[in-house]
Amino acid sequence: MRLKLIGASLTLASSLMLSAAVAQADPVRVAFLMYGNKAEFVQLMERYAKEHPAVVSGDVILTMYDGRYDASVQNDQGQMAVNTMQDAIVINPMDYEANIDVVTMANDAGIPIVVTNARLNTTEMTSEVVSDDVQGGYLEAKAVMEKLGCKGNVVIIEGPKGGSGEIQRGEGNMKAIGECPEGQVTVLERKTANWSRAEALDLMQNWLSKHPGQINGVIGQNDEMALGAIEAIKSANLDVHDFAIAGVDGVTDALRAVKAGEMTSILQDARGQAQGSIDVALRAVKGADYQPESEIWAQYAGELSWDDGQAKRYDIPWTIVSNDNVDELLKDRK
Amino acid sequence: MTSPTLSVKRISFQKYGIIIAFLALCALVSAICQIKVMQGVWPVNVFLTVNNLMLILHQISVNGILAVGMTFVVISAGIDLSVGSVLAFSGMMAASFATRSTGVTPWSGVYFVAFPLLAALFTGALCGLVNGLIVSRFRIQPFIATLGMLLAARGLTMAVTGGNPISALSPEFRWFGTGRIFDTLPVPVVFLAIVFALAWVLLNKTVFGRYVYAVGGNEKSARTSGVNTTSVLTWTYIFAGFLSGVAGIILTAKTGSAQTSAGTSYELDAIAAVVIGGASLAGGVGRLTGTFFGALIIGVMNNGLDILGVESFYQSIIKGALIVLAVIIDSRRQA
Repeated sequence: MRLKLIGASLTLASSLMLSAAVAQADPVRVAFLMYGNKAEFVQLMERYAKEHPAVVSGDVILTMYDGRYDASVQNDQGQMAVNTMQDAIVINPMDYEANIDVVTMANDAGIPIVVTNARLNTTEMTSEVVSDDVQGGYLEAKAVMEKLGCKGNVVIIEGPKGGSGEIQRGEGNMKAIGECPEGQVTVLERKTANWSRAEALDLMQNWLSKHPGQINGVIGQNDEMALGAIEAIKSANLDVHDFAIAGVDGVTDALRAVKAGEMTSILQDARGQAQGSIDVALRAVKGADYQPESEIWAQYAGELSWDDGQAKRYDIPWTIVSNDNVDELLKDRK
Repeated sequence: MTSPTLSVKRISFQKYGIIIAFLALCALVSAICQIKVMQGVWPVNVFLTVNNLMLILHQISVNGILAVGMTFVVISAGIDLSVGSVLAFSGMMAASFATRSTGVTPWSGVYFVAFPLLAALFTGALCGLVNGLIVSRFRIQPFIATLGMLLAARGLTMAVTGGNPISALSPEFRWFGTGRIFDTLPVPVVFLAIVFALAWVLLNKTVFGRYVYAVGGNEKSARTSGVNTTSVLTWTYIFAGFLSGVAGIILTAKTGSAQTSAGTSYELDAIAAVVIGGASLAGGVGRLTGTFFGALIIGVMNNGLDILGVESFYQSIIKGALIVLAVIIDSRRQA
């Protein structure tokens, strides 16, 4: 028995040494701070981060942190990343203001810090790899306006009040509506459903009750809420195809709804953000020799340039999900 | 000990008090709508339509069912903070049997419904059993025991799928959230009615119901007079967990997706319904009719404030004030 154990541990030890020898002598340690992990989009980001070629090959040791939707938890985790001497930090921040601390801590410690997905109200970070929410909000509202022919009544289901998502996507929503001839489009209602499908379902039901037969379009500031509105319309025995509905993010259910002709979704590229930010962080650690390894740079050639990894901000393009590309995107979700 | 006549009087006041409050709230919302009609803003009073009132029942179904279980627990002098998380866990278990996204459908027809339902109800009851055993056998305060379950069940929900939602549920399963009986009555409303009716019989017409009141009123004297308090408490939490499973089925079927964040803070709405309904957190006092109207009041408020276009933060303020007011009225009445 004991012999067996020793044998097993010897095999284990040698295989560990072997794998260490296969990987490069000195892997880069990257801390990836996510604000939470309870939604499909953040799950996707996590998955794509782990699929980054440098992580797969072992050149990078990635440590994921779950901020549990609490800015102060995330600040503590930033401190932990500094204390454990990570080579770089990538943060998807919970709060626009409160998480600036993480940037400050990283700068004090001389560690590159890349912000992804959400924004921070500072310019002190190494770089930002984000998607422009004003543009996302604009594209989804534009899709609704086009389907309505710039004529009719719409409702806007908003993200959590005061968050950067709600403010910027709302700005984009109004910009697209403003491009229609004046007086043609009326925003009947706008209220938050806190990114939640269940909340949006109740809210939309109440609006349908209040404005029977009058609502023509629904602008959900994310897909989940647009999907909640679709459920509300179905539960009121109305035909979803009579409505122009759009959301942002490109979650799997929204892709399925696009395929069913029920809505338009504006895909926020979780892979572009997650893998792009890792490439930018690696460039900061390894220096000018580093060439980006993720295929996203080739994918977006012409729209997004690498700029030697030195740009202050990378805008990962949005993709309008339509019947032409939905199957391709769904295939990637298995 | 209060005399029988006094307690009957108090209960009837409690019963009518909540109904009066409910009618007053409806009258208020309706009056504001009527003013808008007179001003020519709206063609009709959109609040006071059959469709809208049915909608309110539809919307309170999940909270109403959770609140029934919560009523039993509160009467037993406990509290169950875990109902929202257990709802999510049960819903996730149901969805994992009801999904078609995997492309593999090893069973069909009746099993497509039976397995998800059994999975959710079993999961809910099992979580309730754990709560009940910790409270009754280990004598841990219900607040702590169920706080533990709140965290654990949420973690388990995420562990089932590694944090991903489960969607593409079978139409057979979705009937429990979106179906209509005779093309008019939403299935969740039917479930709400069945749950309330059965629970009412259980609480008011069975020995078990009497024991729940007895344990909540004074556990020690209940035990000395021969009530198996351990078993009564355990079954009370099993019942609450089971109903969280029922609510999990309905919410998942309604939204068409089991999400890891489902039911977050639903325990607070359930407790609010029970407290507004006149139950005392000290135990021994509470009625299901009160809880029903408590849930209705919350539902009318959410619906009415949406219809009147009141900002969501005011909605929170009003709900908070209402809960505290209900408890103040209740405590003054009992004093």
